[in-house]
Amino acid sequence: MPTPVSVARQCLTPEAAHALDEAVAVARRRGHAQTTSLHAVSALLSLPSSTLRDACARARNSAYSPRLQFKALELCLSVSLDRGTSTQLADDPPVSNSLMAAIKRSQANQRRQPENYHLYHQIPQQSSISCVKVELQHLILSILDDPVVSRVFSEAGFRSSEIKLAILRPFPQLLRYSRSRGPPLFLCNLAEYGTGSGRRGSVVSFPGFPCFFCDGDENCRRIGEVLDRNKGRNPLLVGVCACDALQSFTDALEKRKEGVLPVGLSGLNIISIENEISSYITENCDNGCLSSRLKEVGQLAEQCLGPGLVVNFGDLKAFVGENSRGDTVSNVVGQLTRLMEVRIGKIWLIGSAACYESYLKFVSRYPSIEKEWDLQLLPITSLRSSMADSYPRSSLMESFVPFGGLFSAPTDLKLPVSGPLQCLPCSHQCNEKCEQEGFAASKEGFTTSSAEQYPSALPSWLQMAALSPNKELEAKTKDDGVVLNAKLTGLQKKWDNTCQHLHNTQPLPEANLFPAVVGSRPAESKKDSADNQGSNNADVSWDETKCVNVNSCMPIGIEKISKSPLSIPYPVVSKPSKDEDLESGGIRSPCSLSNSSVGDDSRTSPASATSVTTDLGLGMCSSSGYNVVKKPQNLRNAEHQQDISSCFSANADLVNGYISNHRAQSSSSSSPENHGQFDPSDVKKLFSALLERVGWQWEAISVISQTIAHCRTRGEKRHGAVQRRDIWLNFIGGDRFGKRKIAVALAELLYGSREKLICVDLSSQDRMVNSKTILDCQELNGYDVKFRGKTSVDYVAGELSRKSLAVVYLENVDKSDVPAQRCLSQAILTGKFSNSYGREVSTNNAIFVTTSTFSEGKPSNYTEEKILRAKGWPMKIKVEHSIGSSIVSQDRMVSTIREGVSSPILMNKRKVIRANELLEQHEISETSKRAHKTSTGNLDLNLPAEDDEVQQTDDGNSENDSASESSRAWLQDFIAQVDETVTFKPVDFDTLAEKILKEIKNSFHKFVPSECLLEIDSRIMEQLLAATYLSDRYAVVEDWISQVLSRAFAEIPKKYSLNSHSIVKLITCEGLSLEEDKNPRVCLPSRIILN
Amino acid sequence: MGNILLEALNVRVVGSGEKILVLAHGFGTDQSAWQKILPFFVPYYRVILYDLVCAGSVNPDYFDFQRYTTLDAYVDDLFNILDALGVDRCAYVGHSVSAMIGILAAIKRPDLFSKLILIGASPRFLNDRDYHGGFEQGEIEKVFTAMEANYAAWVQGFAPLSVGADVPTAVREFSRTLFNMRPDISLYVARTVFNSDLRGFLGLVKVPCCIIQTSRDVSVPESVANYLKDHLGGRTTVEMLDTEGHLPHLSAPALLAPKLRRALSR
Repeated sequence: MPTPVSVARQCLTPEAAHALDEAVAVARRRGHAQTTSLHAVSALLSLPSSTLRDACARARNSAYSPRLQFKALELCLSVSLDRGTSTQLADDPPVSNSLMAAIKRSQANQRRQPENYHLYHQIPQQSSISCVKVELQHLILSILDDPVVSRVFSEAGFRSSEIKLAILRPFPQLLRYSRSRGPPLFLCNLAEYGTGSGRRGSVVSFPGFPCFFCDGDENCRRIGEVLDRNKGRNPLLVGVCACDALQSFTDALEKRKEGVLPVGLSGLNIISIENEISSYITENCDNGCLSSRLKEVGQLAEQCLGPGLVVNFGDLKAFVGENSRGDTVSNVVGQLTRLMEVRIGKIWLIGSAACYESYLKFVSRYPSIEKEWDLQLLPITSLRSSMADSYPRSSLMESFVPFGGLFSAPTDLKLPVSGPLQCLPCSHQCNEKCEQEGFAASKEGFTTSSAEQYPSALPSWLQMAALSPNKELEAKTKDDGVVLNAKLTGLQKKWDNTCQHLHNTQPLPEANLFPAVVGSRPAESKKDSADNQGSNNADVSWDETKCVNVNSCMPIGIEKISKSPLSIPYPVVSKPSKDEDLESGGIRSPCSLSNSSVGDDSRTSPASATSVTTDLGLGMCSSSGYNVVKKPQNLRNAEHQQDISSCFSANADLVNGYISNHRAQSSSSSSPENHGQFDPSDVKKLFSALLERVGWQWEAISVISQTIAHCRTRGEKRHGAVQRRDIWLNFIGGDRFGKRKIAVALAELLYGSREKLICVDLSSQDRMVNSKTILDCQELNGYDVKFRGKTSVDYVAGELSRKSLAVVYLENVDKSDVPAQRCLSQAILTGKFSNSYGREVSTNNAIFVTTSTFSEGKPSNYTEEKILRAKGWPMKIKVEHSIGSSIVSQDRMVSTIREGVSSPILMNKRKVIRANELLEQHEISETSKRAHKTSTGNLDLNLPAEDDEVQQTDDGNSENDSASESSRAWLQDFIAQVDETVTFKPVDFDTLAEKILKEIKNSFHKFVPSECLLEIDSRIMEQLLAATYLSDRYAVVEDWISQVLSRAFAEIPKKYSLNSHSIVKLITCEGLSLEEDKNPRVCLPSRIILN
Repeated sequence: MGNILLEALNVRVVGSGEKILVLAHGFGTDQSAWQKILPFFVPYYRVILYDLVCAGSVNPDYFDFQRYTTLDAYVDDLFNILDALGVDRCAYVGHSVSAMIGILAAIKRPDLFSKLILIGASPRFLNDRDYHGGFEQGEIEKVFTAMEANYAAWVQGFAPLSVGADVPTAVREFSRTLFNMRPDISLYVARTVFNSDLRGFLGLVKVPCCIIQTSRDVSVPESVANYLKDHLGGRTTVEMLDTEGHLPHLSAPALLAPKLRRALSR
């Protein structure tokens, strides 16, 4: 049973009652039998100052244009209203049950408000609830709860919940400001700071900004600003398009266009003497023509009524061009200067220069000119000055144009009544036509209608909103009849359809007036949404034609889908039907690509950033061992110690000499092949397995294997209840390659495959360089392949989420950048490794190995770098007959290592010399550096500019210093947290080299008479060392010597006749490439060339 | 006034350093484009982030078609922000259109800027008689037509092209921000940018500049970087970035950030 309006009014505050009256008026106009919540919404939206409208504005989806969304709302609302049954009523349509229920609900709500609690309880017995006067805000909130209302809102892409929130939240200052005071919302109103000392508030103070009603010529406005200044008031336009700008400014002044100039200067005249000047200067006309013209100018300035006269002297090119003669130019300049002096304040100069260079030239000729002419350089940026002219023709604007009602551009409000319709700058053809027809229609019904000033495509309540400052007009529009309304709606629909047709957008589905369009998100985000928002896709229906449409737009995206193994090829096309829950983003604007943002946002939003736990402890191959072990820990540790010591004794010879055949021993203890069952708690096995790979780092290996075993066996770690099985190791010291090999070995031994190694160099700048010289692990690829678009952190997180059982090998942690540092700190503390989006991956089960180099500069013949640079050349044996020393001195390039009975001393000497050379070089580079540094104080102008740069780089890194300091502090903190810091000794290549030499010597003397000399190229030595160093198998060189080299030595006596003066040379053949490049790591030739 | 502006353009100040760094995004992105660059600078700078008025993240109602006809209006916005924040000196990193804005700003108030870093910068995108800007007028008209005809499709095509490198996340991110722009504003700004020509007064820039250029950028040919270096009035360096695309801060942040760091520190 409907409630009479008067009864309902009793429950309302005056403000709310007014809103109800409006709602009733809406219902009456439509001839409806009852006043429903929908009428109330309609009325609430069209109130002059509408809380609901503001709330909608703030709650709207920023992906859509506000006009579009408000239009959608209007359409949805009117459709719903149209369904109401109409009757002829003499009386006001009574309040419907649903609306009355809303009023009751808000009463109850209000009673429950703590601030009202006492009030209502002090008067408890008074006639029930009706004493609670419902405030407007509460009424709106209750009405929004009405399912009919919330459906209308959601059809238009709003969420009632968000609107409610927006109502409850205080206004942001911005909107309140814009609402209450009208125009000055725009950023252009803000004070102009840009013009420096001459700045004035004049621009700000213009009411209504007349300059914006000209044809939007920003350049003219800027020129006007300069003219209006006290100092530097004579603009010189600079820029490629300066000439055009000057021309259009001149035109504007000549035509007396409104709004070009600031108010203070209106009526300014302009006179161009450009032609006179250029003809005088270039064509050598006589002076008379110009002087008379200038005289005329002077008189004009005297007589003119306005603020004065602008003299356009045209392009500076005329003054500085090739044809210009110095004396004539000086003459012109002099005359203009005099003119300025005489008519001070009355005359302005204006000119242009296409490029800064001509201005410079001009100034260099007349150094005082800038002051005398009081010039102000004004860069002109744009080719065409008034884009606004050409622009609005664009059909693109159609769907967006003037639904500006609610958010009407402030200029609308202050628009003079006679003002042109282009106050909405982006009017368009469709809309124009729609307007025209709208006018015609409205004129039929009304003699005066606000629609004459406002595009009739605005819904009535939008129009009212736009007009709200103008009460008179508002009153008129209020009388707006059903007939006109219907007509306008019809027109609007018609033109909407036309627009949409023109735009190839989706035609309106029957059930849903709002243009619900194919969700043409990029396929990538579809994938995401398929993954993450499964629920969203529940009500997705397949529509083939739409799909084709989508696909055609996104060949790339589709490709991505098929590439990605995890993704479900899921070309989601959401086709919202009326009954669906549209709040799940079903509504799409015509160009609804913006839905991609929906997908993305939800993916990166904090809500969905909950950690993706990849804690698959059960799947860990090593965990079985751990589970079985139940011995007390100290006992186990003791056992470990024992194991280790037994290992040591077994490998005792290793400690002394690197090349020792421990293969038999190690293969018996553990073979890498059965890694699946490898038990890391078995220290001994791990130790020997690692030792097999990197024989020389036995100390480090023993620490590593103990640590791993220890970490695996300890039940809990760091954080009591949380069981963590990630292991953090930090490798310091030299031997970068050894560290890598150990990391690879750990991946293979513990997790079964080299694939389980995630390898990143954290010193990002060098990442590329390093990766090229690394002959080992394939994982260390170039930047481009792996890191595109990702930070190293992202890469690690991504890999880690794919394989939780992994060795994460982070090189150069000491050089890591800030995000990486933060991420590592967090990971070691919490066990969660998060990427730059905040998405987390569990580090459980992973072994993190970080490395940093603090290399001790022990002088050695062979540096790690040099060894790593060694290339696999073919080798050659050459036999020469002469006296050794002379050859050596001739062949300077090859610094030789001689091995022979007769001259063991020679080799040593060589060594010393080399070392000295190195030292010298080092010193030289040092001094040259120092020379650079000392010269910073007094700049050497003879140095080229680039050198200057370099110095600056060296010196000006105070910021870098502070950065490195903070990163050092971080590193200390980080290292303190790792499970173990393992020190790697720098590889003793010298000892290694001696071992190899000994091997070679033994082999050599087996076949060659002992009086012969063997000379080995140092590069061969490097090559052999590299092979030893880089190969997986430690004994590879040994094998090579015994197989390949020996065979070659054995052939020597057969091919050559050797005597005591013979020198057998083992040298590289540069330029030839090794055939067996397949295995670049072991760069040893399978055959040695003899000639 | 300042507060309104700061709010409208989503101005954000983060970081704990003393020196001030402004990160200004380019066409088709918003300040989120710096997301991956930001962590590198937060510990050392007070970083000011803001959205250009044309960005999708700014209420389109602020975009006054009458006002933003040239880049000067954007420059004024920048000044207003810096003044509202009381900044008297800062380093400025600008991408694409913001690089142009930075150039103009540095001309108008040179003492405000200690350094300009210009990423994907061009004084003029259109070819001219003896200038290769990368675009022909005809081509660009076609682009505009395409934008008008079907903005979504255009975005789909343009984003991967512009990102250059095969980085799906960057393409997706750029598509998102690009599409967030209202199509009419997007087109309007594009016209403004393509109508701009800063060549005439590059010499007025006295602030030291660093131009960061990727090895292949569909929008900016390499010659443009050299042109800038030759014509900018201050001490100018060109840093080549060994990656592709117009948006290295999206596609290769880990490469770009150290370069920026180095460029800023000298």
